[in-house]
Amino acid sequence: MTNHWIDLKNADVILAMGGNPASNHPISMKWIMRAREKGAKLICVDPRFSQTAAKADLYAPLRSGTDIAFLGGMINYILENNLYFNDYVLNYTNASFLVSPDFKGPADMDGLFSGYNAEKRNYDKKSWSFQMDENGIALKDPTLEDPNCVFQLLKKHYARYTVEKVVDITGTPKDKLLEVYKLFGSTGKPDRVGTNCYAMGWTQHTVGTQNIRAMTIIQVLLGNMGMAGGGINALRGEANVQGSTDQGLLFHILPGYNPTPNASLVDLATYIEKNTPTTKEPRSVNWWANRNKYITSYLKAIYGEAATKENDFGYSWLPKIDVGQNASWLMIFDKMFKGDFEGFFAWGQNPACSGANSNKTRQAMTKLKWLVNVNLWDNETGSFWRGPGMNPKDIQTEVFILPCCSSVEKEGSISNSGRWAQWRYKAVEPVGQSMPDAEIMNELYFKIKELYKKEGGAYPEPIMNLTWDYGDRDAAGKVKHIDIHAVAKEINGYFLEDVYDMKVEPPKLIGKKGDLVTSFPSLQADGTTSSGNWIYCNSYILKDGKEINMMARRGKDDPTGLGLFPGWSWAWPVNRRIIYNRASVNPQGEPWDPKRPLLKWNATKLNATTKTPGVWEGDVPDGPAPPMGTDGKLPFIMKSDGIASIFGPGLVEGPFPEHYEAMECPLEVNPMSKQRVNPTIKIFGDKMDASFSCDARYPFVCTTYRVSEHWQTGVMTRHCSWLLEMQPQNFVEMSVELAKDLKISNGETVIVSSGRGEIKTVAMVSERFKPFKIAGSTVHQVGIPWHFGWQFPEDGSGYDSVNLLTPNVGDANTMIPESKAFMVNVRKA
Amino acid sequence: MAEMVRKSRVDEILNHWILAGSCILLSITGFAFLFHLEPVASVFGGFTTMATVHNWGGVVFGLSLLYSMRDYLKESLEYDADDLGWFKVAGGYLSHKVTVPPMGKYNPGQKLFYLAIVGAGIAIALSGFGIWLMKENTTVMLVSHIVHNVAFIIFVLAVPIHIYLGTLANPGTFQIMVNGMMPLSDAKKKHPKWMKAVGKM
Amino acid sequence: MANDNTKNRKAILVTPEACIGCRACQVACKSWNQLPGIKTKNNGTYQNPPDLASAAFNIIQYNEVPSQENPVRWLFVSRRCMHCEDAGCMKICPSGALYRTAEGAVAYDRDKCIGCKLCVTACPFDVPRYDTDNKVTKCHLCFDRIAAAMHPACTKTCPTGALKYGDRDELIGTAKKEGFGTIYGEKDLDGLGTIYAFKDEPKLYGMKENPTIPSSVVFWHNYLKPLSVIGLGGVVAAAAIHYLAIGPHKEKEEEV
Repeated sequence: MTNHWIDLKNADVILAMGGNPASNHPISMKWIMRAREKGAKLICVDPRFSQTAAKADLYAPLRSGTDIAFLGGMINYILENNLYFNDYVLNYTNASFLVSPDFKGPADMDGLFSGYNAEKRNYDKKSWSFQMDENGIALKDPTLEDPNCVFQLLKKHYARYTVEKVVDITGTPKDKLLEVYKLFGSTGKPDRVGTNCYAMGWTQHTVGTQNIRAMTIIQVLLGNMGMAGGGINALRGEANVQGSTDQGLLFHILPGYNPTPNASLVDLATYIEKNTPTTKEPRSVNWWANRNKYITSYLKAIYGEAATKENDFGYSWLPKIDVGQNASWLMIFDKMFKGDFEGFFAWGQNPACSGANSNKTRQAMTKLKWLVNVNLWDNETGSFWRGPGMNPKDIQTEVFILPCCSSVEKEGSISNSGRWAQWRYKAVEPVGQSMPDAEIMNELYFKIKELYKKEGGAYPEPIMNLTWDYGDRDAAGKVKHIDIHAVAKEINGYFLEDVYDMKVEPPKLIGKKGDLVTSFPSLQADGTTSSGNWIYCNSYILKDGKEINMMARRGKDDPTGLGLFPGWSWAWPVNRRIIYNRASVNPQGEPWDPKRPLLKWNATKLNATTKTPGVWEGDVPDGPAPPMGTDGKLPFIMKSDGIASIFGPGLVEGPFPEHYEAMECPLEVNPMSKQRVNPTIKIFGDKMDASFSCDARYPFVCTTYRVSEHWQTGVMTRHCSWLLEMQPQNFVEMSVELAKDLKISNGETVIVSSGRGEIKTVAMVSERFKPFKIAGSTVHQVGIPWHFGWQFPEDGSGYDSVNLLTPNVGDANTMIPESKAFMVNVRKA
Repeated sequence: MAEMVRKSRVDEILNHWILAGSCILLSITGFAFLFHLEPVASVFGGFTTMATVHNWGGVVFGLSLLYSMRDYLKESLEYDADDLGWFKVAGGYLSHKVTVPPMGKYNPGQKLFYLAIVGAGIAIALSGFGIWLMKENTTVMLVSHIVHNVAFIIFVLAVPIHIYLGTLANPGTFQIMVNGMMPLSDAKKKHPKWMKAVGKM
Repeated sequence: MANDNTKNRKAILVTPEACIGCRACQVACKSWNQLPGIKTKNNGTYQNPPDLASAAFNIIQYNEVPSQENPVRWLFVSRRCMHCEDAGCMKICPSGALYRTAEGAVAYDRDKCIGCKLCVTACPFDVPRYDTDNKVTKCHLCFDRIAAAMHPACTKTCPTGALKYGDRDELIGTAKKEGFGTIYGEKDLDGLGTIYAFKDEPKLYGMKENPTIPSSVVFWHNYLKPLSVIGLGGVVAAAAIHYLAIGPHKEKEEEV
């Protein structure tokens, strides 16, 4: 979330699309309902009349996988009706930038952008660039009339998304569609703010990233980014999934969103050079220019004294991916399926049920020599060898189970959707022999280190040089138990030497050797500071000689009245509660919306540190620089050009989101263009990777979702009888019309099949699903939750995972599987 | 010693005691349920055990009532002109001066009392079983509940009168409940038609 | 009828309009009361368990009603004991197991329950259930939590304020001020302790119209119960008067 949970209460219009907050994020609804009490309107756009729809002021159905058509139509509506926030668009976005005349869009190229290479399935992005002046600054047309300016290109691109066309694609009733456009478009006024809540309903598509991009364009057009009650808000479905991304869980990033090095970045200097954006724009902060400080401090944190200037701070010890290599989930299991892996740690996960095309995932695990399942319970993954269709005699995989603790059995931090790192305490002792994950890692680390010591090994340095100062050591030098505070402090970072600010005369001491780093502006590129994750700098600080865990704070003051609660826990970065908050003020530093002043420039008040007049009041500003109009800086400090990108060349499939059909869809042709599916997605070629579009055998659109009562693959919740009581069995929701066609009655057991597998499930027939009218014909959609698995309940009454049906095709940027739109058949069992 | 005549057999006497005892037990526990009388319940070890006592006491009462029908039911249904006369003088209870017509073994007051006890007894027993055993049927439960309580009112009104008339109001009568015997002279005076029927007069 | 604490009477205010159907209330209740999980199956609805049960003191009912605007209207209604001021269950309970708490709720003493199930018949809302020990169970407004200065488990956990606990009068006043035209249970059965704020007809939400205690129970309670004592006293008194005024039978008279 660019904003945070409580901030939802500040919105005038809330668009819940690509998610079901009422069911899956009930706490978000607390704040949405607060907003509604004050007169805000909740819009729900969902294929099914969900629990959120039941609470919405306006509900509009759409066929799964057509969000870009829906949102593209909204962009068109906003532009046609001049609903955009002109001052914001002009000052804070690249709308006025002139794009290379070589750039061509789908309007000219029948669904493709210029530079497509059909063989490689990718784009040469050369033409997706801005025209520069002699100083390397983008040329602009403040009148927004130049046919090559972003604004005009945007207009041209989305002029094709007429209401009629959109209705034809999405199946949304025209009056509902227009009502949504009108209502959300009303937030383009300075004193009206709109927000949106999305979850996997937007991401799990072959065009997932572009779904969100489309919303981003709307939010900047309407001037809702950086505002209290605005922003782009991914409602995270797991308490700490934000934290896991922050700490580099994904293959392509290190902690703090530093890119994973690849094989071509041979040394640290090259890495920094290739990964540090530059700008000639004098008003741009271009915060990523600090990359060198953050990567060096990271290396110092993990390799400590072994990391020296001479050895590139141990850069060569970091694992590298091949150039262009994608090491995401689908790729890992594809490789495993092909026998490329010997072993696999399934740590806190259940791929046998969570992986798209789970039959392939389950088959892949049979190729392993060993599998370590770290979990609270045995699950379908640990027991895959005795699962449906498996013959244990034929499977050589040795499975180990390491029981780990649940979150309430250990101390530590979690980072919620709103980027709040909150410290939590151990409530109960661990059950049986289970251990916290960190303790398991500790045991493993010292065993592995011992082996390297004894046997040498191919490349021992990355392991041998790791810092591991997390607590008291025994006689053999092993850390007895992990002190989680030591980990938190390492993540925050230390001054490794006395560090001086050399820009002032005489140089001023910033931090003393051994002290905790106060904040990331103090981080250095010369190895004198460490920080395991620069964005968490300031989470554990030294104040008046005392170490303070900022994440454990429980202050309940709300000075702005906007629900920022700056004294409660700690939010990255530097306790900023709303990201890009400097876009909430006009270039003079006055809030766009005086009713919800998130920030305000006080030109007369003395700045305590610089002793010069002028301070920001309100939230922690995105940088201390004065407002843009008074010699200050542009508001979008993480973007190299300092402004929000309406034209965004960063993604692989194009600078503007374009509607493509899902990999499996009911249409033979994309009504928008000749290009049916996203032209840049990776297609797996094995017979286990089958997909069937427009195939009479699989005539119904299917989507997956969650219910309040279960969590993920249900390993934690299916074992709780209270939750199982409320949702005991997997079900397929379908319309009364479809059930009638198929002669299926409510509550009867049916079989749902796709090109990849089939499952038994209970039919839930209701008015909540309605058939869609798509391109003149009727399209039925069904939906199935994904929490179930064959192993528990033990009698199999819950039925198996819906991921046996989902396709293993991923988003072109992130490779998140397309679990939200695929084709199935339903028949009586 | 005066010559005695047997009015009740031993088993009859025994059954009357059982009937009377269970009736009083049921009444006491019944009142305790009606008004949540904790001290009474505590005598039985709480409401739950008291309920068990009440239920099985009801079974005993019901069986005893059935047994009693063997002796009294037939006669209690037969009435003649003297019975009408008996009513005209209110059985002689409101004045000792009136002449009471000749009676058989039982007077119509006794016979009607018995019929009331049989009627209310069957009702209270059946409804008791309804409450006890047919808990899943709300209608049965509700009807049983009201019937049980109406029948209880009949018992509450009738039984004390019966006890009074069998003891204080008619000295010497209680003797029959002990050994079944009454003096022949008394029997001839009070039950001339009975005495004639058995050939003693 | 009115209890001494009417002034301090507490209540749960249910606002179905604010309910999102997340069922945290169902779990919180089971957690606090340590109720066992019920083995259920999916009957083609989200509602589960299908009805109140001995191990489910509250449930969310998912009602679907036709809508002009949308495919359907989906209404979420929390159901549990209504804590009637004029409580049929308390009236009929033969052992005093059901009792009124200081907050005006209807709670129960398991030890006193004799398992007669009369309360089931007398409840206008079909609330009381019996557990495997044959003891009455139902929502007791978390009297044990309230005694420890906490709120009931369900209201504490409700994220949206669809369940609120507080002074009954205050809750009603606030709900009316917020524009809820109908407060279900404000007057019914001398005022319920679980009250509902509606903007539509309560019937739409599956609420019982004009709930009443079965008339036989009322008749019994109002007339038969007093009559049993008066009758007993009356006949004993009559016998005594007879004995004193007229006296026992003399020699020539006969017994009855």
